[in-house]
Amino acid sequence: MTPPSSDTGSCLRLSRLQRHLGGRTILDGIDLDVNAGECLALLGPSGCGKSTILRLIAGLDRGDGGSIKLDGRDVTALPPAQRQVAMVFQSYALYPHLSVERNLSLGMELRGIPRERREQDLVRVLTMLQLEDLRRRRPAELSGGQRQRVALARALLRRPRVFLLDEPMSNLDAQLREELRPQLRQILCGGSAPVVYVTHDQQEAMGIADRIAVLQDGRIQQCGTPQDLYSKPANLYVAGFIGRPKINLLPQTDGTIIGIRPEHLEAVGQGGLAAQVINREWHGASQQLTLSTARGELRWTCDGNQAVGETVQIGWDQHHEHRFDQQSGVRL
Amino acid sequence: MRPDADLRPGLRRTLIGLVLIWSLGPMLWQLYSSFRTPAALLAGGAGLGSGWTLAHYVAVLQGDPPFWRYLLNSTVVGSLSTLLTLILAIPCAYALSRRGGLLRLLVGGGLLAAAVFPYVLLFLALLQVARNFGLANNLLALCLPYAGLSLPLAVLLLQAAFAELPVELEENAVLEGFSLGQRLRWILLPLMAPAIVSTALLVFLFSWNEFPIALTWLSRSELLTLAPAMARIAGSSVFSVPFGAFAAATVLGSVPLLALLLLFQRQIVAGLTQGAIKG
Repeated sequence: MTPPSSDTGSCLRLSRLQRHLGGRTILDGIDLDVNAGECLALLGPSGCGKSTILRLIAGLDRGDGGSIKLDGRDVTALPPAQRQVAMVFQSYALYPHLSVERNLSLGMELRGIPRERREQDLVRVLTMLQLEDLRRRRPAELSGGQRQRVALARALLRRPRVFLLDEPMSNLDAQLREELRPQLRQILCGGSAPVVYVTHDQQEAMGIADRIAVLQDGRIQQCGTPQDLYSKPANLYVAGFIGRPKINLLPQTDGTIIGIRPEHLEAVGQGGLAAQVINREWHGASQQLTLSTARGELRWTCDGNQAVGETVQIGWDQHHEHRFDQQSGVRL
Repeated sequence: MRPDADLRPGLRRTLIGLVLIWSLGPMLWQLYSSFRTPAALLAGGAGLGSGWTLAHYVAVLQGDPPFWRYLLNSTVVGSLSTLLTLILAIPCAYALSRRGGLLRLLVGGGLLAAAVFPYVLLFLALLQVARNFGLANNLLALCLPYAGLSLPLAVLLLQAAFAELPVELEENAVLEGFSLGQRLRWILLPLMAPAIVSTALLVFLFSWNEFPIALTWLSRSELLTLAPAMARIAGSSVFSVPFGAFAAATVLGSVPLLALLLLFQRQIVAGLTQGAIKG
């Protein structure tokens, strides 16, 4: 089933978006395009400006420059109520005094949607999100996952031209998060509205998004598919942020830094870098080793059986190497 | 673990008993006095077998004007004052809670100063106001000073309650297309019900108990509110204090308040915002 949305596909375009607060620059020239049905994740540490972007798109805050276009129409100056966006808040923001049913129908009622259509839409999303049995409950009587589904249902009923999600998983436990990811993707993505998804969890971003924009200090460091970010990080920041365990960085004498991912290291017979295993974490399918070498500590993900204290020769394939400029951090 | 878990149950019960005696004792004594004949009251422990009477209630209720008239006056003034206060305080409190920085600090400080100001110092000035505007002996005019004097505290209390509501609730309503009025009507005010009820009760209590202004603004006896009427009963005779009649009036005067408390007890206690955000 396709998500209920506006009839024609819409797209979201941010250009040179600026936001300052008390002399501090929160957003510094954000350019982004999100197509209909595409899911873009805004990924970054807390305070990088990712939630601010969401609030600017929604109209809850005003930008200090740049423009926001929905379907080619400039909505930068439009009040939030007229932008027809839906947002799922981190806290879900369910109305605590209303039942699930009322939480979902109140908005439609106040927007003047006729009763029959309200009832039809309500039944449809309740079924789609498996909430039929919960329709008379209050939010306080729901589990975290159920609250999230109600919040999603409410967003769907808005028939928005863009879906905004602000860390919708962060109140759920890790296992439930993994279960819900494909579900969320199925419900929201591939419809006719773009989806902007804010998270600080790279696994979640990679699992859900078609494209990821990595943010730091109010700037987009890189925007691309998860594969792009992983295999061709645009700078040192992205290289260090994407991929777990963190990439190994080896400063060179020529003013560059070589980055090599822990899973791309391999044991070689001879001619490699001599290394001693100083710590080991057992992860089941693989193990995570910390190696001490003449060029500093290295992280190595392997499936071998090295014991702590053992010495190995370490090498890697040239084409797995990433090279960055030491000064600017830019990929070479 | 309960913080008082290490307190021995016996000691706890004794302490609770002492608090109850401390707060309920005078009321129970009034209730007792109101049903005793003057002779039985003066004789002290002459025995509970005799000396009971309803005469004080009959006397108070058949007075001129009858006592229920004062109750009605006080109820009308109290209800209107409360209504007026809430109508003015809710928009003020909402606006204040959505403002930040210096303005909120200044207005909040001013309100606090006004709320703690001893209003008795104002009553001569208020009397002048009543004279100039012809408000003397006008029952409903009492609502004006009562609402005015209650406003600062009411705004402060409601402002704090507004500020406590998670801001995402209103933001989500904004995104859903609710107007300001719709947000207040459907989201904010229902969630504020406990705070509104508590504030309303405080205002009502203030006007129910208010004495100096009611005493000086009203002189016609059929317009009197409860407090000055009680004073008249107490001072009705030079030779004796009418304990019984006074006690009966006290009991009658507190019944409406008890009824109000019972009626709204659920709202006062209810934690409606539970589960609004995180579990």
